[in-house]
Amino acid sequence: MIKVEGLTRVYGTFTAVDDVSFTAEAGKVTGFLGPNGAGKSTTMRIMVGLTNPTRGRATINGSLYADLPNPGRHVGVLLDASAQHDGRTGREVLTIAATTMGLPKSRVDEMLELVSLTPSEAKRRIKNYSLGMKQRLGIAHALIGDPKVLILDEPANGLDPAGIRWMRGLLKEYADRGGTVLLSSHLLHEVEQIADELILIGNGRIVAEGTKDTILAGQGGAGQSLVTALDNEALTVALKAKGYSVEPIGTGMRVSAAPAEVGRAALEANVVLTDLRDGGAGLEDIFLQLTAETQRENTAQIHAEGASA
Amino acid sequence: MSAATVAPSTPLPTASKVPFGRLVLVEWRKMTDTRAGRVMLMITGGLIALVAGIILLVIALSDMSGLPASTWMSALSFPVSLLVPVLAIMIVTQEWGQRTHMVTFTLEPSRLKVVLAKLLAVFVLGVVTMAIAVGIGAIGTAAGAAIAGTEANWNVSGETLAWSLATQILYLLMGFGFGMLLLSTPAALVVYYGYTLILEASVFSALYFIFDWAQNLFPWISMQVAMMPFVAGDEMRAAGVNVDDGALGIARLITSVALWVGLPLVLGTIRVLRSELK
Repeated sequence: MIKVEGLTRVYGTFTAVDDVSFTAEAGKVTGFLGPNGAGKSTTMRIMVGLTNPTRGRATINGSLYADLPNPGRHVGVLLDASAQHDGRTGREVLTIAATTMGLPKSRVDEMLELVSLTPSEAKRRIKNYSLGMKQRLGIAHALIGDPKVLILDEPANGLDPAGIRWMRGLLKEYADRGGTVLLSSHLLHEVEQIADELILIGNGRIVAEGTKDTILAGQGGAGQSLVTALDNEALTVALKAKGYSVEPIGTGMRVSAAPAEVGRAALEANVVLTDLRDGGAGLEDIFLQLTAETQRENTAQIHAEGASA
Repeated sequence: MSAATVAPSTPLPTASKVPFGRLVLVEWRKMTDTRAGRVMLMITGGLIALVAGIILLVIALSDMSGLPASTWMSALSFPVSLLVPVLAIMIVTQEWGQRTHMVTFTLEPSRLKVVLAKLLAVFVLGVVTMAIAVGIGAIGTAAGAAIAGTEANWNVSGETLAWSLATQILYLLMGFGFGMLLLSTPAALVVYYGYTLILEASVFSALYFIFDWAQNLFPWISMQVAMMPFVAGDEMRAAGVNVDDGALGIARLITSVALWVGLPLVLGTIRVLRSELK
């Protein structure tokens, strides 16, 4: 379990992490989500003692990271897959970790097999690794000590779709065995499929947390539907009669009502539907709204595009 | 995608504090497992072999007698003192350059322990490389005498041997200190070689023999000058130079070592302990 309490880190006049508190529980995958520069990496660095907090503290299974004996055996850390010596081979990187932690050399081979790095790839220098291979090596490095807690910063970066799916399965299995997983990402769909709990951070502050459903509900994802009917005009009339707003999108319409209400209106108006789905503000819209202040792009525009997509 | 699972196939040993000896072993490995490290050691070894080979060749081709052990030692410890400090510098700076410090200090959060482990690894490096140079020097002394058909001249005392080992280690520690202070390979190399090759080898020694004030000041601020009475006291006396190897000499030695080794080590350690790693 990771417990973060009132964590704050100030650089001069800039507050990178602003009174952040949350708990990542054992047996769950917790997604730490936020745009670039929101404070995810700083928070994670504080957790493992690389950066000192200005205020607050982070504990892992009740103790400060610095107090853990042989921390690699308790916490698997992957903060930056590129932070490995270019001149070392993948096998050498794992061997150094295994030696530090006092693990048998067989563990190195086990980890290479786990992350599907072939013996010939393991003999290559990191310089010749793709980002995806570095990421796999980093995951092997984090898991080699069989830790109870994983802290992974953007672990899916550079992985191909098959690799992302593989990692998802790996982390699920790990959490099912009772492990604690905290992984960060700036890509929502990377995280929403795997995380049991989400923590949304923007501008150094937590803007929302909970399961995907509670976040959606909490943000009043008031019914929105996308619907297409054989007779769009008739349905539009029926929906407007019920007081919903309707706007045409593509071959169908966006309606300010939950799918059930739209279905009911169609039934009453005897209109055949060819497509009906939830068009409510998805997690992505909420994510963009909540973190709007820290977005570098014009969020309003992105939001509009997202809505019409 | 893979049949392997996260769980270890055999139970792993229980997690107890990382023993210091293991950290030293890891730091030693990290110093020698990269291409830069290996190349440096190979060039050093190659230079030692080359120097030894040339000396033996000259002895064999000319009518001179075998060289005394002291000449062998100073000839062979030169490549060691020239190149091995690079490893002492890089054991620190490569962690910052390649950002492996993030890994190193998450596996051992006590930064002081890591610094001490690196220090000990550098110390061992100094002893091992000097032992090789001295060993080959001894072989050369015997072989040179055999080729020339003369008696081998073992004129190196235990004290001389200890001083040249101490010199080598002091310079390694100086490089190590500069590495921690600057946390950048090129900057530390420039400062280290700027001091040893330019200041000490050229500027200080040139001024020393010309100006009186230099003879009063340099023993305090130049490690090389301060060490002279101890390393080459007999030669200096033979040359009629006034040798201070008493209390004054020791005070000068301590001052210069504190300035060039102690200060960088202390300030560098403080910097490593305090810096934010990212």
